[in-house]
Amino acid sequence: MAVGPQVLEAAGSGGAGRLARLREWWEQEEVFGYGLILPALALLVALVAFPFGMAIYFSLSDYWVGSPGGFVGLANYREILGNEIFRQTVQNSFVFTAIALTLKTVLGVWLAMLLARPARFKRLIRGAVLLPFVIPTALSTLGWLWMFDSLYSVVNWTGIRLGVITPPGPNWLGQATYAMIAVIVVNVWRGLPFFAITTLAGLVAVPREYYEAAEVDGAGSWSRFWLVTLPLIKPVLAVVILFSTIFTFGDFNIVYVLTRGGPMNTTHLFATLAYQVGLSGGNLGQGAAIALFIFPLLGAVVFFQLRYIRKE
Amino acid sequence: MDQTAPRSPQRRQFLRTAAGTTAGMASWLALGKAPAFAQKRELTFLSWNHFVPAADDELRKQAEAFAKANNCAVRVDTMAHLQMPAKIAAEAQSQSGHDMYRSAGADPFLYENLHANVDDVVDKLGKQYGGWYPFCAQMCQTASGWKAVPWFWVSFPATYNMAHFKKAGFGDSYPKTWAELLSMGKVLKKQGNPVGIPISHCSDAHSTYWSVAWSYGAKVIEADGKTPAINSDKTAQVIEWYKELFKDAMEPEVLSWDDAGNNRFILSGKGSWIHNPVSPYNAALKEKMPIADDINHHNSPAGPAGAHSAPPALSMAIWKFSKNPELAKEFMQYLFRKENYDAWIVASNAFNHPPLRHLADHPIWAKNPKFAMLPKEAEFAHPRGWPAKPSDAIQRIDDNYVLADMLAKSINGMPTKRAMEWAQDQVSRALKGQLKVS
Repeated sequence: MAVGPQVLEAAGSGGAGRLARLREWWEQEEVFGYGLILPALALLVALVAFPFGMAIYFSLSDYWVGSPGGFVGLANYREILGNEIFRQTVQNSFVFTAIALTLKTVLGVWLAMLLARPARFKRLIRGAVLLPFVIPTALSTLGWLWMFDSLYSVVNWTGIRLGVITPPGPNWLGQATYAMIAVIVVNVWRGLPFFAITTLAGLVAVPREYYEAAEVDGAGSWSRFWLVTLPLIKPVLAVVILFSTIFTFGDFNIVYVLTRGGPMNTTHLFATLAYQVGLSGGNLGQGAAIALFIFPLLGAVVFFQLRYIRKE
Repeated sequence: MDQTAPRSPQRRQFLRTAAGTTAGMASWLALGKAPAFAQKRELTFLSWNHFVPAADDELRKQAEAFAKANNCAVRVDTMAHLQMPAKIAAEAQSQSGHDMYRSAGADPFLYENLHANVDDVVDKLGKQYGGWYPFCAQMCQTASGWKAVPWFWVSFPATYNMAHFKKAGFGDSYPKTWAELLSMGKVLKKQGNPVGIPISHCSDAHSTYWSVAWSYGAKVIEADGKTPAINSDKTAQVIEWYKELFKDAMEPEVLSWDDAGNNRFILSGKGSWIHNPVSPYNAALKEKMPIADDINHHNSPAGPAGAHSAPPALSMAIWKFSKNPELAKEFMQYLFRKENYDAWIVASNAFNHPPLRHLADHPIWAKNPKFAMLPKEAEFAHPRGWPAKPSDAIQRIDDNYVLADMLAKSINGMPTKRAMEWAQDQVSRALKGQLKVS
């Protein structure tokens, strides 16, 4: 706290004493520390804890948009668990997250290792790799929507010209399996840069000497990767996977833009279904219950991963 | 929401302020100018991006003229139709936002408690212009009065490519029944010009389903509005018809369409027949596409139980929290002045149909033989859910794409009976979770 000399003078001797006391109090470590945390804490409470509390309250009540209802206990949860669309959504979410996450992990590490190699225009390439992550998802997904269009699909057109796809080619967004592939592809495309760049940070921190020592011991590139690289980037990787699980599980944009949960709800995720039920349909209580289902699931994931990271 | 309830005023205040600030900032950013406080009376109207943009230009022009005449300001904000439900929900929840908005579907029922009554306006306009079409009226008249003023409806006829039909040997004829559509469609598909009805998560898929289902005498809910009725022999007939049409007259792309899918399909020159508002033809005219000459319209086909249509009908509602309800009512009536409404019909190039009988006499339909049959659609139109009254439950069946998914499931191999049972379960869930209006 910078206090100008004029202020001190104007405050007079008594004031100066009070000011000094205040300053002394403020500069105590615990007071100062909490003081610094306070703004962040206020933001967290206002933007995370408060809406979260509201969501729990909504999910336990018969709450409709604009008309609050009474407490109904776990009725909303019972109702959605009994609904086939919700059970389908749970299954979709696990399939989507598991496949997308595996692909992102494998491809991400691979891409990171490629990026770590000395190359010309290294910075330019690293910057370019980040592009999918930087462009607003809703916007880039619109591009994908056109690429998967039933009539004008550039994917099918190219495939047919190259002779890899038999005409007319898959109906990307109209068939259950293909639609799931489509949303996973876009999710991987978008999430890969985050994986690669973060893993790259872990990779460059691995001391060169380890590799040299391994080479002297006669280790090939595979063994160098399994025995040196992987164990050393594991902590970074674990954190990236943790974050990515959360992002992937809670994905909304991609599915909303590409399929709106279709065909036959085979690409609905928690967030898109919650939106459909809670906002379009006005049933806030049920919408909140659907959205909150992610919480215990992700809570478990976070718990186990954090425990694993700490053990490491 | 009860404004005087003492329960947790801080929370409500916070919500209101937060949502108000966000909404305010969003519109402020969208407008690209600083908000001017302490201005004269301002009326704000949230509408959709009209499918014919010239109609929005005309609307804004009229809003300006109204503002000048009444010494107030009128702001018309427009947004994509798919985003409107969420935006309206946010305004309802935060009790702040625009004074009035473009309501649709079951909004007047969903927000019955939150809309101001407009019985006086409806009454006056109805007397002035020879009465409201019943299907438009039914969508705005709740148990507690008129909660919106019917604004316009959008005819949902068939659009077909005359050249493809001629080439297939049908001369000047077109399908007058759904059965004929199937038999003609088989020939057209072989010719490389399939027909197209979306069976996907989009609203056109529903508009057509209701139309076909009613034509076969099938229902989704009984007239009492409480009993699910989709699991029936009639529905089974509809599903079988759809399955055959899908297999022999359409291509799998209909499973992935959004609302613009069938427009692209007919304009690409590949498609021969779609069920849709007249927007593809208008787009072809505007872009001066040669295909415009080949495109024509005919009335929605009929079935064993006659012809029926579920045209989208839109209305204007005033929020109870509006500070200018009287001004909003005056504005609505201003839009319905004959010269204004006529100009707006012209701007939309016959897309907007008046909900009032006398306004429907506009020459734009009679003049263009491709539009001449459009007003007739009103004669066999019903609100979705008919014979049940519109309700939030019916809205929810649409929102959850139950009807389209039932069809898609059977097309993908689920036995018809099971697909109907699935739909019946969804319909009863929608009915069970019904909003209680106090």
